[in-house]
Amino acid sequence: MRDGTSSKGPRTTTILLTMVVGVMTVILCFCIFVFLNRYRSALVRSARTSSAQAALQVSSTVGNYLRDMELAMELVEQSMWSSADNRDELLSTFLKFRPDVVAVTSYSSAGELLDCWSLGREPRENIFQNLSFDLETARCADGAYMTAPHVMSIFRSHYPWVVTMTAPLPVQGAAAWVSLDLSFSGISSYINGVSIGQRGYCFLMDGDGNIVYHPQQQLLYSGLKSEDTAALAALEDGTYVDDTVIHCLTSVQGSDWRVVGVSYVDELVDRSVHEMIRLSVWLAALVLAAGLLTSWLLSRQLSRPLRGLASAMERFETDADHFTYRPVGGTREVRELSDSFGHMVVRIQQLMSTVRQEEINLRKTELKALQAQINPHFLYNTLDSIAWMCEQGRSADAVKMIHALARLFRISISRGHELIPIAREIEHAENYLEIQKYRYKNQFTYAFHVDPACLDYYCNKITLQPIIENAIMHGLDLLVEEGRIDVYVCRDGDDILFRVQDNGVGMSPDQAASILDQDTQDRTGIGIKNVNDRLRIYFGKQYGLRVTSEPDVGTCVEIRMPKIKEAGDYEAK
Amino acid sequence: MRRNRLAALCAALALLLLCGCGEDAGVQNQRLVALIVKSTDSEFFLSVFAGARAAATEYNLELTIAGPETEEDYEAQNRMIEEAVAAGAEAIVLSAIDYEKNAAAVDAAAKAGVRIVSIDSGVGSGQVSTYIGTDNYAAGRMAAQAALEGVEGPLYVGLINYDEGTANGQERESGAADALAQSGRAQITAVVNTLTEAGHAQADTAGLLAAHPEINVLMAFNEPTSVGAARAVRELALSDAVFFVGFDSNVVTIDGVQDGCVDALIVQNPYAMGYLGVESAYKLLAGQSGGLAAMVDTSTQIVNRENLFTMDMQKALFAFEQYQD
Repeated sequence: MRDGTSSKGPRTTTILLTMVVGVMTVILCFCIFVFLNRYRSALVRSARTSSAQAALQVSSTVGNYLRDMELAMELVEQSMWSSADNRDELLSTFLKFRPDVVAVTSYSSAGELLDCWSLGREPRENIFQNLSFDLETARCADGAYMTAPHVMSIFRSHYPWVVTMTAPLPVQGAAAWVSLDLSFSGISSYINGVSIGQRGYCFLMDGDGNIVYHPQQQLLYSGLKSEDTAALAALEDGTYVDDTVIHCLTSVQGSDWRVVGVSYVDELVDRSVHEMIRLSVWLAALVLAAGLLTSWLLSRQLSRPLRGLASAMERFETDADHFTYRPVGGTREVRELSDSFGHMVVRIQQLMSTVRQEEINLRKTELKALQAQINPHFLYNTLDSIAWMCEQGRSADAVKMIHALARLFRISISRGHELIPIAREIEHAENYLEIQKYRYKNQFTYAFHVDPACLDYYCNKITLQPIIENAIMHGLDLLVEEGRIDVYVCRDGDDILFRVQDNGVGMSPDQAASILDQDTQDRTGIGIKNVNDRLRIYFGKQYGLRVTSEPDVGTCVEIRMPKIKEAGDYEAK
Repeated sequence: MRRNRLAALCAALALLLLCGCGEDAGVQNQRLVALIVKSTDSEFFLSVFAGARAAATEYNLELTIAGPETEEDYEAQNRMIEEAVAAGAEAIVLSAIDYEKNAAAVDAAAKAGVRIVSIDSGVGSGQVSTYIGTDNYAAGRMAAQAALEGVEGPLYVGLINYDEGTANGQERESGAADALAQSGRAQITAVVNTLTEAGHAQADTAGLLAAHPEINVLMAFNEPTSVGAARAVRELALSDAVFFVGFDSNVVTIDGVQDGCVDALIVQNPYAMGYLGVESAYKLLAGQSGGLAAMVDTSTQIVNRENLFTMDMQKALFAFEQYQD
C-alpha cells in the first residue's frame, strides 16, 4: 500500500497473514482447550487416586492399631482372671510397653470404679465425674465399644485427651467391665505424617461425625477451624470432588471409625493447570509469532517481485515507447513470468515501430501516387483551352499555356525527388496560377511576395498548388467581383512560413477548423488535408497548416516547415 | 523484518525468564515474626505459643518467642522488643506488661518499620495495627456476674489483681467493679495488687482473707493469681465460705473447681490469641491489612461445676496437645 497502487483489493501479504494468523489462532486455541481439559481431568483423577490411597493407607494402619488394641484388651481381660498380685504385675508391664494406654480401669456392675492401673498416677479419692465410663452406654453396648474423644478426668492435675475402649467381662468376679484409656499418641503418628499435596491431610471421625483425631485438633477446639463432619458422616465411602476440596472417605475395618482424606483442588490441580495455561499461552504466542514471521517472509518473497512486475506493467502501459524493462528476481515462477513479460515488451515495441514505419511508408506511397495524378479534369480543361486558343489563332497565348503546362509537369515530377528548392515550388505555383488565370478568363489577379533569402531552402513539392487550387475553387469561383490571391514566403525564426491569402467568400470558424480533418473524396489530386499530413509525417507535429478564415473577407492558410538546407536529410525517410 | 525478529527474540527471552521465575518462586526466605509475651511458663501462654506456632507453620513464617522471668518486668520486655527489631523481625506480636511503659519501645519498633500486633493485653501506642484478645472489661463483668449469681445476700468482695500498669488486669477489675456496684448489694472490701506468681499471690490472698474475714467473694484476674488464690482458699479451708472466681484454665484451678475451692473460672481462648496474632502479622506483612479489624474479640467462657465436663468446656479448657512445661 505504501507506494499507493490504488485500493482495488487486499494485498497478498495481508490475505496471507490474516489467514495464517486466523487459522493458527483457531487451531491453537482448540488444541490448548482440548489439552488443558484432558490435563485437568488427568490431574483430578490422579488427585483422587492419591487422596484415596492416602486415606486407605491411614485406614488400614488405624485398623491395625485397633486390632492391636483388641488383642491388648483380650490380654487385659485374661489378666482379670489371675490373682491380684499377678494381675498388677502383668498390667504394669503391659502399661510400660504400651505408653499410649493411659490407664486400665475396671468397673463393678453398678458402674463403680474398682481398680485403676496407671503408671505413676492414682485416681483422686472423690471423682467429680468420670468421663471414661458411662453405665448406661456400657449396659446398652453389645460387647466392646469405643467412646468419642474426651478428657481423662479421674486424675488430679492431669487431664489428657483420650478415647476409651470398654469391654464387658463374663460375670465371674467383682469387675463387670474393663476399660482402656488410649491417648492419641499412637494414632497421631500415623495421621500427622500423612500429607496429600502441600496442605492436604487426613482425619479420623466416628460414625456419628464426631472427630476422633484431627491433625489440627486444637484449632478445631479453639473454634478457629471447623470441619463439616455432619455432612461427611452422611456420605458413603468414596471420593467426592467439589470446586475446592477433594474429600475421600474410607471406613476403618472392625470399627465405626472412618478416615477422611482432605486435599485441595487448587494446589493439586489448579496450580498445575495455571502453570500449564501460562506455558501453553506462551508456546502458542511463540508458534503464532513464528508462523507470522514465516508467512510474512513468504508473502514478501512472493509479492514483492509481483508488485515490481505490476508497476513495470503499469509504466509500460502509460509509455510503451520509452519503456525499458529490467527483469525482477524472486521465485522461479515469478522469474519466468518476468522473462515472458520482458519478451513481450520487446516484441510489442518491435511491432509498434514496424506498424508505425509501415504506416509512414504507406502514406508516402499514397502521396507519391497522388502527386503523380494531376487532376485529369485540370489537364482536360487546360488542353481544351489550348485547343480553343489555337482555333482562334491566339497562337502566342497557346504557346505560353503549353510552356506553363510543360513546366508544371516537369516540376511535379522533379526526377522523383520529394523535396525541391522553394524557388522551384514557387515557379510551379506561378505556372499553375497562370494556366488557371487563362482558364478563368482573368477573373482574379495574383501576386508573389517572396523573401529572396528563402529561395535556396527546400520544401515539399506540390505544397502550394493544392492550397491555391482550393482558394480558386472554393473562395474565388463564386465571387462576383475580381478575386485576388497573395502568396507570401518569409522566414520565421528557424522555420519557413508560406501564406496563401485570398479575398474569397471565406468560411465560418467551424468549417475552417474542420477543413484539415476531412478527406476530400469528391475529387482526385492532393487535398489540403494531405498537404498537412505530409508535412507532419516529414517534420513532426509542430509543423503543418493553419487555416484562418472570415466569411465575406477571405481565407488565409499558413504553411510552416523547418528551414531545410539539404534535401538528402529528409529524402531518405 | 528486523523488528519482527527482535519481537520474537524478546518473546522467547521473556518465556525463559518466566519459566525461571516460576521455579524460583517456591524458595522464599521465611519472614521473621517475634512473639513477646509476659511470661513463658503459665499454661495460658503455653497455649498462646501453641497457637502461634500453628499459624507460623501454616503461613511459613519464622517465629521467635520471648518473655521475661516475671510478669512485672516491663524493662526486660522493652529490651526484647529492641532485640527483636535488631534481629530483623518484620512484625511483633506483643502481650504488653505495662500499658504505659512499653509504649515507647513499641513506638520505636514501629518507627523502624516493624508492624505491631497486640494480643491479650494492650499497649498505649498508636502504632498497634490490631488487638486480638478478650474484651477484658466484659470479662470482668462476667466474673462479677458469676459471683452475684452464686452468692445470695450482701457481697464482700476481695480482688486479687496484679501489676497496676497492666492494661488487661485493670480493665477486668473496672468491669467487675462496675458490675458489682450496679448490683447494689456488693461492696469491694479490698484490692490487693500482688506479683504475678502463684506463691506471692497465695501469700497475699491468705493475708487478705486474714485481714478481712468478712470477705465472702474473691476474684483473681489472671492465671497465676488465680492459682495462688485457689491454693490459699483451700489451705484456709474456706472453700464453702468464699465464692472464688478465677481467670484462665490451669490444672490447679480445674482441680479446684472439682474440689470446690474454685467456684467459677473465666476462661479465655489463648490458643486463638496466639494463632490469630501471628495470622494477623502475616496478613500485615503480606499487605492484606485491609481486612484487619482494629479489635478481635476472642471468645470468653465461664466454667463452673455444672458445665466443667461438657464437651464444649472440655474443648475450651483442656489443651489437646500436651505442652512441654
